[in-house]
Formats: sequence, structure tokens, C-alpha cells
Amino acid sequence: MSELVRVVEKKPVPSNATILHGLPDVGLVGLIATSHIITQLKMSEIAYVDSELLPSVVVLHEGLPYAPLRIFGNGGLIATLSEAAIPAKAVQPVMRKLVEWGQAKNTKLMVSMGGVPVQDRQDLETVKVYGAASNPSLLRTLSDKGIEILSGGFMVGPYALIMRYCAERNIPAIALLAQSFYNYPDPEAAAAAIKEFSKMTGLTIDVSKLVERGEEIRLRARDVMKRTEQELNRMKKTQEYDLPLYV
Amino acid sequence: MAENRRRRRSLFDLISDYVEDFEALSEEMERAFAERPSWDTRSCCIEPLCSVFVAADEVVVTADLPNTNPDTIKVEPVTKDLLEIRAEMKRKVSFEEFGITHRKGEFSFFRCQTRIPVAVDVKRMKTQFKRGILEVHLPRKKGYRIKVE
Repeated sequence: MSELVRVVEKKPVPSNATILHGLPDVGLVGLIATSHIITQLKMSEIAYVDSELLPSVVVLHEGLPYAPLRIFGNGGLIATLSEAAIPAKAVQPVMRKLVEWGQAKNTKLMVSMGGVPVQDRQDLETVKVYGAASNPSLLRTLSDKGIEILSGGFMVGPYALIMRYCAERNIPAIALLAQSFYNYPDPEAAAAAIKEFSKMTGLTIDVSKLVERGEEIRLRARDVMKRTEQELNRMKKTQEYDLPLYV
Repeated sequence: MAENRRRRRSLFDLISDYVEDFEALSEEMERAFAERPSWDTRSCCIEPLCSVFVAADEVVVTADLPNTNPDTIKVEPVTKDLLEIRAEMKRKVSFEEFGITHRKGEFSFFRCQTRIPVAVDVKRMKTQFKRGILEVHLPRKKGYRIKVE
């Protein structure tokens, strides 16, 4: 029987790498941030994800076709990037596969960058980044680096699943979630998330171009944002606004 | 076995299933109507991302208007439940800038029409523009008050 989700490797994949996930979610924070990191660090495609559950699309770059969900690499860093919204029904099997694949490659850390939607985001002069982790030791590391912990509430969507599957398998994983718009692309939040990612990994990434090109990115990202919002609604993403009940 | 499982399901489960199916269907229909390009080369307009939030006292409409000259933003009611937002861009953008060469066209405006789901008092509308986001506050009309004993 064929696998529901396959990772097709095109080049040798490094072991013990840090895997960064840039998947469409609120404000497209992770997608914008990861896309910027891939460009800045000149990462090249090493694999892609193939699944019947993903949309029947290819992305054309300079005339050549690419899978929308691709994996890039450069030295000790691997990055997954999805240029198209991931259908709600595909999120669980795709995330499970990405985590299994990362474990098979002996990843040393999985990092998800995303957003925490806040009301009146436009009134915030500076964006705060919260952290979550798959184990207590990593939570301490986040705190030591000055990152405030997302101590309670719900996480919904791809990053929630990555965190859960990693915790189940004892894979070290963190999420860096910047305050962001819910359904408007947020390059400023992406820049804030990258700064914290740099602190955690020691990689220097210049975000000045990302901030400079903010308006252009917001214009370009409208259609992906719109389709992502449709999928987020199907995942009941607004549950993140709910208060959990512990009695 | 499956038959037994079906028989054991409560009326609430069945109602919940029907509601979910109905929601999925209405969402699909809404999507089918909404599936169109977010741009129009004839009118040189791009449709901005826009959302409507209904609160107890007001309806808040927001629109993402990057690359916009704030002085050119116009918010006008088309009908009593339809609002039009229009704004001029600071500079024209073209498909080529987005890496698309098989389509031709330049865009110099944002334009969208959004439906207001409840009655509002348009005369008391207030707007603000910050960080490229337009916010329109429309106070809700109040019909009558019920006295609580």
C-alpha cells in the first residue's frame, strides 16, 4: 500500500540538524520568516513532501515546477516551507510525517515559528514573542534567553501537532510565537520571531530587508493568506481565544 | 457492529452531525461564490484583505491596505448593508513585480465591498488608519430596550 504522505529526498539530508518549520498559519508569520531565512542563508531544496491530501498544484519559479511543500537545507539547518495553504484534512498526516522524518534524521531540535493572534495588533509598537517547548529543560532554556513562556491556553493547527508529536517521541521542540494579526500577513511579527530564533540558535540573520519590504510582502501574500484563513477556520483556529478549564 | 454503533448514537450526536454537515455545505457554497481573482486589470484594482467583526455595540470592519496613501482612503455606504472601501496606492504595482510574466496589468487602487450583517448607523461611522490597517467603526442601531424586572 502506498504511503499517505511521502518525503521525497533529492539530495543528501544532514543528520543532527535543527529543523525549522515555516507553515501557513495566522499572519503567515512562520511562512514569511522561514522564507526570509531560506533566502538569507542561501538554502537549497533537498526534499519535498508528496501526498494525495495536498492540493493538485505546482509552484512555478522561473518557469520550473516545484512542489508547494518543500524542504531546504544548508549545513546544520533544515527548513520546511509550504507556499500553499495546507488543507485542514491533510494537517495531521503531514505533520506526523514531518516529525517522523525529522526523528529518522536524528534532528537535534525542531523549531516552529508562528503567530499568536491579538486584538488591536495595529496598536502595538513592539511585538512580543512567546515560547513553548516539548520538555521542561527546553522551557528553562527559553526563559534563560529572555523569552516569555506561553504558559496556558490552546494551540491549534500545524504547530500544535508538531509540538504534540515531538513531545510523544521525546524530540526536543520549541515554538516561537509572535503577537500577530490573525488574517493579515504580518512581516513585522515574522521579523520579531526571527530575532528570537537567532537568540536560540546563534545564527545571525539580518531582518532589515524583511522590514523594508514589509508592504510589498503584505501585497504579495494576500492570496495565500486568504486561503490559509479558510483552512484555519476549518481547523477551528479561533479556539486559541478560548479559556481552558482546569478545576 | 457498525450498525450497533450507529444505533447507540444519541439524538444530540445526530443533530450535531447534521449541523456540521450544514456548516460545511454553506461554507463550500460561500467559497464557490468567493472564488474569483483578487484583482481586476480593467479597473486597475486589487481587492484588499478585509474582515468584519460584530460586537455588542458596533460593527468593526478592517482592511489591510499596504502601500496606501492615507489621504486617498474613501469609505462609503453603497446600500444600507453594503460598504465600499477604496484607496489609492502610493505607487503602481504590476504582475511583473510579483514574478508573473504571462499576465499584463498594473494596479493603482484598492477596492472592496463588504456586507454589514446587522443594522448600523452609518452617520456615526468613525475611521482610523494605522500601520496600513484601516479600521471602520459602525455603531449598531438599537431598536428597543427590554426592561429587566
